[in-house]
Amino acid sequence: MAAVDQLLTKKVADRYLKREVLGEGTYGVVYKAIDTKTGQTVAIKKIRLGKQKEGVNFTALREIKLLKELKDPNIIELIDAFPHKGNLHLVFEFMETDLEAVIRDRNIVLSPADIKSYIQMTLRGLAFCHKKWVLHRDMKPNNLLIGPAGQLKLADFGLARVFGSPDRRFTHQVFARWYRAPELLFGAKQYGPGVDVWAAACIFAELLLRRPFLQGNSDIDQLGKIFAAFGTPKPSQWPDMVFLPDYVEYQYVSGQPLRTLFPMASDDCLDLLGKMFTYDPKARISAQQALEHRYFTSIPPPTEPASLPRPPPKKESINPKVSDFNPQDGPTVLSPPRKQRRVMPHREGFDANAHNMIKMDDHGNEPRQAAGERSEHAPMSLDFSVFGMRPPNRPTINSADRSHLKKKLDLEFQLPEEE
Amino acid sequence: MAANFWTSSHYKQLLDPEEVDVVFPVDKERGITVEDAKLIKFYMTNYIVKLAQYVKVRQRVVATAITYMRRVFTRRSMTDYNPRLVAPTCLYLAAKAEESTVQARLLVFYIKKIQNTEEKYKYEIKEILEMEMKILEALNYYLVVYHPYRALSQLLQDAGMSDSTQQTWGLVNDTYKMDLILVHPPHLIALACIYIASVQKEKENTAWFEELRVDMNVVKNIAMEILDFYDSHKLMTDDRINAAMNKLPG
Repeated sequence: MAAVDQLLTKKVADRYLKREVLGEGTYGVVYKAIDTKTGQTVAIKKIRLGKQKEGVNFTALREIKLLKELKDPNIIELIDAFPHKGNLHLVFEFMETDLEAVIRDRNIVLSPADIKSYIQMTLRGLAFCHKKWVLHRDMKPNNLLIGPAGQLKLADFGLARVFGSPDRRFTHQVFARWYRAPELLFGAKQYGPGVDVWAAACIFAELLLRRPFLQGNSDIDQLGKIFAAFGTPKPSQWPDMVFLPDYVEYQYVSGQPLRTLFPMASDDCLDLLGKMFTYDPKARISAQQALEHRYFTSIPPPTEPASLPRPPPKKESINPKVSDFNPQDGPTVLSPPRKQRRVMPHREGFDANAHNMIKMDDHGNEPRQAAGERSEHAPMSLDFSVFGMRPPNRPTINSADRSHLKKKLDLEFQLPEEE
Repeated sequence: MAANFWTSSHYKQLLDPEEVDVVFPVDKERGITVEDAKLIKFYMTNYIVKLAQYVKVRQRVVATAITYMRRVFTRRSMTDYNPRLVAPTCLYLAAKAEESTVQARLLVFYIKKIQNTEEKYKYEIKEILEMEMKILEALNYYLVVYHPYRALSQLLQDAGMSDSTQQTWGLVNDTYKMDLILVHPPHLIALACIYIASVQKEKENTAWFEELRVDMNVVKNIAMEILDFYDSHKLMTDDRINAAMNKLPG
């Protein structure tokens, strides 16, 4: 039987014709392959076995466990899994690009209908997860993959968890910081699907602005950015806030109207965005309710996925991230005066900041006024688009967070559960 | 896990009793009968429970581990998948899948502690990790399992029988000594245990059961199976278990 096993293994591995390496995933190499059984192009993740002799990687196992239960057009499909030469391999449908690449590609114009389509698919995938009691916990544009026919799918379930036990405590060290909901930043350990909705709102805003909306450089700063945008929450707005473990009082700021932050968005769009950015997670709109919002039925109808603008597949553009930025283009714009009051992340090329911003306005679908024309009254959004030569580095969960997270995950089982 | 059972892989994978009581040809050649297989699975269930007490994991992990093991033996022979290795590996995998990882070396340490005289149980970390991969494959990578415990506490409360929590909880634990979890939806197993408890306590709650909109015949049948098991349990002597275990490869 051992021999038969090996034969079977070989046969499974033989099913796929290995092509080029696509990249390094969270826990191993990802390469492109052709499924000879179906002719389909697939992406195969080779899961490295941990050094600490702990068998199949915990994160990978989580992803397998959840993706086997989550079959939906807006969730990445785990087609197959097989061991090969002692390593576990996961076979996913092949996805051409991701939403981050779409947002960053200056040659792409996103119409309001395109934005509606992308956010609708995001919310559909999310609503499905939540219906299945799964929290994604790592929603961000580069985890939203885009397939050959334009379909957007949620991917990377390595941080996802099943929720449902109402008193179950989780770690709050989830999500890349810019997408973290205020309750997480205040250290909430009992949270729900609202955290994913907040992140989806950040993605929504990013689609509208064509750059990350709230780019905090620490957890404290992240809350500062959130409050600067929407105003410091009053206890009446969010009664449970003061009881959160890491709650600290912030100096009151009044925030800005959404209209100012997103000058070109429609009323329906802003209404939905506001409901997704609700402070109190209990009052925040759910993914399903968001899908039923009039924004999705009002004109323009969402673009058909196949007609959505997409960057060329990753392999064809050798270094799209560099070519996007050409500081020689566009007029020089002075930074808005308000900017000086803000803590800015220290980045190279900081001085050359304004070029990109203008370039974005030139090519973006949202023909906003050039920022210079209204530097007196700059929406806060302008402050953060000014990162100089390089696009800002997106924080993922950094290594400090990661080790913290790992510790937390290991600790979690020691807490008694109701069962 | 409160996710939706009816759309889960667990629900889709429920088996008929005949599919559970399989003996593979290679096992038959060794003289292993359906009864032997039951005894071996019973013995290994107790082994998992005992190991779990040492490594300190929640009941849910134990229940998931036993379910994995029982699923494996509906698809793989005991000759090729030695239960003495499959059982601890299932505990190891279940702990990971239920988000309460147990270190492999800790498991190996306790295996040696429990089985200090039995050479046949002494496995090294490497063997457990290799078996982990094979078990994942045998399970077809389906790892989410539902258990009767959650339904149990809700149903007991609803029936006004919270005083029977301990007794019914014990009954549910005992159902893992059989293959019920592979055959029936967990809430029906919970109901069967409540049914047994109410009959035993002579608590009249027929009306409550009738209002539940479940097929009470199925519930009664499960209850009968559980009672039958308690009867046959008396006959599961150490001698018979040892005889069955000795048919396994070393």
